[in-house]
Amino acid sequence: MNLASLEPVIIFTLLNVCMALGLYITALSGQLSMATAAIAGVGGYLSAILTVKFGWPLLPATILAALAGAVVGTGLALVTLKMRDFILKLTTLAFGEALSVLAFNWDYIGGANSFTGIELKTTIWTALAAMFVAVYVTWRFDGSRLGFASRAVRDDPLAASAMGVSIAQVRTVTFAVGAALVGMAGAIQGHYVLVISPHDLGFFVSLNFIIFLLFGGLQTMWGPVLGAVLLTALPEILRFSNQYRLILYGLVIVLVVLRRPDGLLTRTPTGRAVRLSGWTLVPARAVTQTSPEQHNRPLPASLRRVADRVPLKAAAQ
Amino acid sequence: MDLFLQQLANGLVIGSTYAVVAIGFALAFTVLRVINFAHPDIFMVGMFAGLVAAVEWPALGFLVVLIAGVLGAGFVGFALERTVIAPLRGRDVLMTLIGTLGVAIMLQNGMAVIAGPDPIAYPALIPRRFVDIGPVTLTLRQVLNFAICLALLALVSIYVRWTPWGRATRAIAERPDVAAAFGVNVARICQFTILLASMMGGVAAVSVGVLYGSAHAFVGLLYGLKAFICMLVAGNRYFEGVMVVGLAIGFVEALVTGYVSSSLRDAAAFFVLIGVLYFRPNGLFGSYAT
Repeated sequence: MNLASLEPVIIFTLLNVCMALGLYITALSGQLSMATAAIAGVGGYLSAILTVKFGWPLLPATILAALAGAVVGTGLALVTLKMRDFILKLTTLAFGEALSVLAFNWDYIGGANSFTGIELKTTIWTALAAMFVAVYVTWRFDGSRLGFASRAVRDDPLAASAMGVSIAQVRTVTFAVGAALVGMAGAIQGHYVLVISPHDLGFFVSLNFIIFLLFGGLQTMWGPVLGAVLLTALPEILRFSNQYRLILYGLVIVLVVLRRPDGLLTRTPTGRAVRLSGWTLVPARAVTQTSPEQHNRPLPASLRRVADRVPLKAAAQ
Repeated sequence: MDLFLQQLANGLVIGSTYAVVAIGFALAFTVLRVINFAHPDIFMVGMFAGLVAAVEWPALGFLVVLIAGVLGAGFVGFALERTVIAPLRGRDVLMTLIGTLGVAIMLQNGMAVIAGPDPIAYPALIPRRFVDIGPVTLTLRQVLNFAICLALLALVSIYVRWTPWGRATRAIAERPDVAAAFGVNVARICQFTILLASMMGGVAAVSVGVLYGSAHAFVGLLYGLKAFICMLVAGNRYFEGVMVVGLAIGFVEALVTGYVSSSLRDAAAFFVLIGVLYFRPNGLFGSYAT
């Protein structure tokens, strides 16, 4: 097995890591989007139109695809803001399927015959760069105040709101950032597969990414990475029994759901230790005494509720 | 007008199958809070169990083949409940969804290994004959399929409304903890609910196999999403609502195929879903809290 035959596996693994991390950011504030494939499709279609019909290079097309993903994500977040958890998932599901139908019947982007004629522009290095961007963005996001605010909103929206976190803004920002990463990965994937078909936007493709997340575990950003790497590479590793590999794939998913319902990687509740089946991969951080200034640091303006911006004196009158 | 009536009849025949699969989904979701994505593949197993019986003992006739389908689907449903659904009860809806989806992948590809990935001809157990009902012409198989599905729906309705176990089922659907406090054996009822849904799926599967004359390892994909949508559109408070929506979606699809374009047929159900979710997020007939 030489490097050339491994290239597709490596590229798909890297891109799936990007998409899983995008979905992880979106899920960080408690909204598990079922439209990942549709957002990736928006990025893919848009970048393909730009490179094929307007002759753009890959990089600006990818950036624009990421922006388009962010716009779609913002829209979805705004629409689903007031919805209950279950209905939110269903709305994103329906949105993805509706986009798929739209692509199916739109002749400018190929309709049912798929968008073809894309030039091969993606190399391993492009995919690797995309993965580094995704990991860096997620890593910074995860540890930022916005990341903590997102987790607070996920765990208890009411309490988070009482602590002065704006649920609307946290949800919109997480959805937009996550969707931007997904759109970027979709654009790069489109320039490797060279065909974008309406079926790639559907529910069952989106479900794959959710499986990555739940398989790896949602508690740390390394869970989705592990899930995406294992589950993309696993069908290839299992190729020795070509006929049975999908059966084994199903079996592995069932076993993980039954034996480790929180995913493969879990975090101990108080610190940041990352554990896998009893082994500590990353030790817990020592809890240090914090100074009063750290406690009284104000929230960034973007996270404050509108009411907080009213001066106290004005409110008292 | 005749075309309209013909499309109405065709739509109702398809819709009755959607309704039976959707009821299986709805029973599992309402009573156990489980989205059983393996249900359409249990349906597929029932179809193949019937096929095996029909090929092995051709003289036995339609009824025995139906029973074989029921046994095959019921066995898989029972095993699924014991191994995956029961240990995951009370967890997040998404975990059971992923778990049953894993089982679905195993069932589909397992059957594809056994039977091959291509459609297989189903024995012609019912003669190919046409029946005229007023201005509408249907095949005998369509009439039989419709009759079987309606009978199943009626049976479920009677079971849920009029029997003690049915009353326990409704009690669990509303408040599992309170039902348990009043002496309902929740685990037993849950087990029976999955078994019932699977066996109904088995009957419908054999009838659909005979109707289309073929069996396919990936037939579940076609029915799974549609049945899921039926359940969401109707909401899970009334099982009868799910049945009506199943019939209605079959009807809408037939109209879209007849008057608009067949490529939009599969989209019709999603437009119905988006419209209903927008105006009535809990479904047309309301839902229990999840």
